[in-house]
Amino acid sequence: MSELTNICDLMKQNTFYILAGIIGLVEVGMFWFSVRYMIPYLISAAFLVGVLILYLAWRSITDRQTDERAVLINQKAGMATFMVFWVIFFATSLGSAVIGLGAPPFPHFPRPPDQGPGRINESIKPFGDGQGLPGESIRPPDDGLIRLGHFGYLQLALLFLMFFLYVGFRIYYARKYGEWESDEEQD
Amino acid sequence: MPGNTESGRAMKNRIKVFRAMHDLTQDALAQQLGVTRQTILAIEKGKYDPSLELAFKIARFFNVSIEEVFSYPGAP
Repeated sequence: MSELTNICDLMKQNTFYILAGIIGLVEVGMFWFSVRYMIPYLISAAFLVGVLILYLAWRSITDRQTDERAVLINQKAGMATFMVFWVIFFATSLGSAVIGLGAPPFPHFPRPPDQGPGRINESIKPFGDGQGLPGESIRPPDDGLIRLGHFGYLQLALLFLMFFLYVGFRIYYARKYGEWESDEEQD
Repeated sequence: MPGNTESGRAMKNRIKVFRAMHDLTQDALAQQLGVTRQTILAIEKGKYDPSLELAFKIARFFNVSIEEVFSYPGAP
């Protein structure tokens, strides 16, 4: 544990970026694995662990250059992102609520006649030899769960929008507060 | 709150003059004050108004009063 702490204490900014890239790749792999074997908790847990590792690594960067102007830029960009995002999120949620209110309160999802309760759905059958992981039992998710999964697309789209909004505002405020100004001292 | 004034009337400052008098580069001054070179550059160009704390640090570093370094348009 102390060795890990020592390694973290030596972390430079560029090392952090490399680590972030590696973790990003691992997350993509985990996502692929989760989808292939229908293990939704795996990617959720992996994402949380990845964020935790990145946070600890970020705290241990030794050559991080942060001053009051950088903090101000981050604050302004964050606030502007929040202001725009909540309007979009509210509008999207209102639309979703209309769909929900327009549906019957207890929907009935009939199961196809050729698929019994224990039969594997062909669409989620694992690739390869079709056996899946050792000791793995694959149950077909019900239609309600699948629809909930589709709702995740919308959530992900909104989160990506939030990310791009932040990046855009970050660039805007960085430019406003002289991030890319040059003068005679610059190389 | 630090930052550029929303009214567009940014504070004037003479940091560049004091830097030249002390033969200091932006980078050297930034290191002495614990900020980035871009921050010093942004202040000099009037793109960013420093916090009171940083303004006092700059004035004390040059051993002058804060009014000698910073001035606000329209102020007596």
